[in-house]
Amino acid sequence: MSAPSIWSAEARLLLRSGRNLVALILLLALSSAAVWAGIAEVEHQHATIKRVEAEQVRDLAAVAEANAGPEGDAGYNAYYAFMLTQGPPPPLAFAAIGQRDLQPYVLRVRALGLQAQLYDSEVYNPELALPGVFDWAFVLIYLLPLVVIALGHDLVTGERETGRLRLLLSLPGSGLWRRRVGLRYGAVLAALGLPLVVGGIVMVAPVSGIAIMLLTAALYCGFWFGLAMLIGASLRTSATAAATMIGCWIVLTLIVPTLANATIARTVPVAKGIDLTLAQREMVHHGWDIPKEETFERFFVNHPEWRGKEEFEGRFHWKWYYAMHQVGDEAVAADVAAYRASLARREELTKTLGFVLPGVGTMNVLHRLADTDIEGQLAYQDSVAAFHKSLREFYYPYLFEDRMFTQADFRRIPRYEARHSTGTLALGSLGALGLLGLLALWLGSLRIARSGIGSRSKGRGPGMAAFGKLAEITH
Amino acid sequence: MNMKITSTPAIAIEGLEQSYGHKQVLRGLDLTVKRGEIYALLGGNGAGKSTTLSALLGFIVPQAGTVRVCGIDPAADPRGARATMAYVPENVSLYEHLTARENIAYFLALADAMRGRDAIEGALTAVGLAEEAWDKRLSGFSKGMRQKVAIALALARDVPVLLLDEPTSGLDPRAVLEFNRLLDAAREREVAVLMVTHDIVSAVDIADRSGFLGQGRIEEEREASASGPRFDLNALHDRYARAGEPA
Repeated sequence: MSAPSIWSAEARLLLRSGRNLVALILLLALSSAAVWAGIAEVEHQHATIKRVEAEQVRDLAAVAEANAGPEGDAGYNAYYAFMLTQGPPPPLAFAAIGQRDLQPYVLRVRALGLQAQLYDSEVYNPELALPGVFDWAFVLIYLLPLVVIALGHDLVTGERETGRLRLLLSLPGSGLWRRRVGLRYGAVLAALGLPLVVGGIVMVAPVSGIAIMLLTAALYCGFWFGLAMLIGASLRTSATAAATMIGCWIVLTLIVPTLANATIARTVPVAKGIDLTLAQREMVHHGWDIPKEETFERFFVNHPEWRGKEEFEGRFHWKWYYAMHQVGDEAVAADVAAYRASLARREELTKTLGFVLPGVGTMNVLHRLADTDIEGQLAYQDSVAAFHKSLREFYYPYLFEDRMFTQADFRRIPRYEARHSTGTLALGSLGALGLLGLLALWLGSLRIARSGIGSRSKGRGPGMAAFGKLAEITH
Repeated sequence: MNMKITSTPAIAIEGLEQSYGHKQVLRGLDLTVKRGEIYALLGGNGAGKSTTLSALLGFIVPQAGTVRVCGIDPAADPRGARATMAYVPENVSLYEHLTARENIAYFLALADAMRGRDAIEGALTAVGLAEEAWDKRLSGFSKGMRQKVAIALALARDVPVLLLDEPTSGLDPRAVLEFNRLLDAAREREVAVLMVTHDIVSAVDIADRSGFLGQGRIEEEREASASGPRFDLNALHDRYARAGEPA
């Protein structure tokens, strides 16, 4: 039997086992379903953005007709003209949806207080403990280990239990376990990765992004196969090996991340975004009750260029109204900064946790690469804030200089330009994941090798001695 | 019968000692098996038969004494020693999902012993496995048929030493006779056969020498008679019953 045919014999052994075949087909089906669900979610978000864009055109036309003209008032326009901002799904979002199903990707903002408009929904960090949406990342992080357990828990113990181990160990050949682990590893990656590649082609995703996702999956998969070798070579029966591996899966993907998430939440408390909204609104409401001069004085602290242009006749003027909103935003600026700092701190701790927990590390890499993590969400908020600032700067000259607002002016209102995806490679997380994966594989191999040396020199029972000879077949 | 026995021992064990924890299993075992000789190693449970095989296969490092297979120390060069031996374990379990032919080809590949289709079919023919069974999966095979496949594997490897662990256990009388014919053929090819067994009857039918393992060493060794009954079965049985007691 030549080298290729020994591989094909190993493949036959693998695929003729009903359990292995079912596990691989199940993984392929789950991965396909996850990619399909991810594409459906992305398409839904694109469709939503398109629908809102169409509504936006009609809405703006109505505002223009009603408020702009020879006698147009900038204040009315600024009040009624909601401007669309949108965060279209990044190209790799179909594989790792991350925060995109939780956070808004369409916001219509106007020149009023920003903070009251930003937090229509909360920003929080569920990625440590909650399984989240069913996407490819979910299948990789939570379900792939179960398939590895199904295929790998009895690599050694199964041979012992069927009585083949002594015969296998009596043969002078080499590379048995390397071939078997390698074949299972390849089959698992193929079942998991094939739908991703197809999804990437359908979504015209960047090849480099898909390649990095596959690399991440390969490293994570390596970690679990290494663990399977380590445990399988250390225990006597398949049942105990499977139970131990399931225990590892529960601890590493569910319990520890959940506890860590609770610890991080306790260590780094984050105020709710809605609190910022309320605080800003409180300031605005308070502005109605205090002398207008007082509001303007607060406004001029940061906008001295409008001093001397605050005078107006009557009880109400838009310039006072917008100044009041601006002051409301600025009053909660410190709270906003603290809120963002807390989120960033949590994100940092999550990244650190990912250096030791492969599941969390994998999630960090995938979501950062897809730009669907908190960082991506905050970047969208930043772009909205920058756009909001440009809106204010556009309207203020009309308001403070009492300029007419014409149709031509209306057409000059700034429009939001969607930011480009800022997905990046989290090298540190990927490196740590690589180290964990290689470490597990190395320890698994070492465990097999060491058990051989130990049993031969110490004269343990024949069973253990035979088991110890795995080393020579492995290497 | 013993015409093919040569003077060079294929298996040579001298003063082998082995203990597990506080239990000393082998206490200076001496044993030799020459090319073309069939040696039946008899002994009760725990006598050290499996430990002897483990030492020959390089599964354990002897605590004292020497072991050589075709001149190779299995502890120092296990792969080299194993290349000279074929081992048939007591409970033959090959891969149920593969056919008889695939099993042999696969195990030969694992042993780095590439053989052609003819060699595999020759071995299957030699062990008397019906041709229609060659391409059937082992899941439908009886124990005797599986045993034949395992022995065919050993034959196909074409090595000078054959180690058999309870080879006739669970075989019907007809299968035992067929098995003995195979061993005869192996002897003709100058293969050294060490069979470890409880089964005195099958041992006397085929062995050239038999040894009783008791108290960690060979307590008594007998050679097959060249004329008349090969062994005195009553005497052997009586000795077997007293294994471990002073001779």
